Amino acid sequence: MAKRLRDEQSGEPPMSSMIDVVFLLLIYFIVTFKDVIPEAHMAVNLPSPSAAQTTEEEPPDLLDIEVHPNQYILKGTPQSLESIKKTLQYLGELDPDMTVMVKTNVAAYNKELIALLDLCKGSGLTKLNVVTLK
Amino acid sequence: MANIRRQDDSIEPPVSSLIDVVFLLIIFFIVTANMDEEVLDMTIKLAQAKYVDPVKKKDPRAISINVKASGDINIATQPLSLTDLHHILASTVNQVGNDVPIVVRADALTKFNEIDKIIEIVGKSGLYRIKLSALSTKN
Repeated sequence: MAKRLRDEQSGEPPMSSMIDVVFLLLIYFIVTFKDVIPEAHMAVNLPSPSAAQTTEEEPPDLLDIEVHPNQYILKGTPQSLESIKKTLQYLGELDPDMTVMVKTNVAAYNKELIALLDLCKGSGLTKLNVVTLK
Repeated sequence: MANIRRQDDSIEPPVSSLIDVVFLLIIFFIVTANMDEEVLDMTIKLAQAKYVDPVKKKDPRAISINVKASGDINIATQPLSLTDLHHILASTVNQVGNDVPIVVRADALTKFNEIDKIIEIVGKSGLYRIKLSALSTKN
């Protein structure tokens, strides 16, 4: 108090009040500070409403993978994610334009689907279709 | 008495240096603060993606739909029913168009059944650009 009075009498700016305000600003920014989450977005194609009505055979450059709870099925054979990774890497080098049809069981967890889509993207396969197995 | 006062004065913290540091901290927080950042539901634990790069610039029109492990959905932490979501997306299509990206931020432990319901509503609303969000661990 005595210092504040001395400061005011000497014509200096009121430092203690300014420090109070500055500390309040600092506390505000510390409290509202949010770390940036590095989010990755995986674009997927939705099935066309008319696709279910057509009876055309699947085109040859279509890779069919099923996602079930704790299980992946590649071309009808249950496989581990590691062996699917090798296949995807091979196919990605061979034909990056290949369409991957990811058929997902409704009981599968999101992390299982994301793990597969991540592998596809990592292998250079970007045409990803997600359909639902009911 | 005067001697004691001098000693008290000499042990005061260096206020000007302290203010310098505090101002630097404030400048740091102001510069790094993103005022127009969208409100994210931080309770959602996204699935991890090892091979996909993080998004550097988001489309400002994008609508992020948060899906909790329980299946509860919200936009900017505002809880919604599937009917509400349909109304919001339909009005978005009417006002902005159908090329608005939809980002589904689903918890890693969300069953695909819950995501499928949202995908279905997005499709019914006439939107087609859908993205699944994951936590990028790629360096």
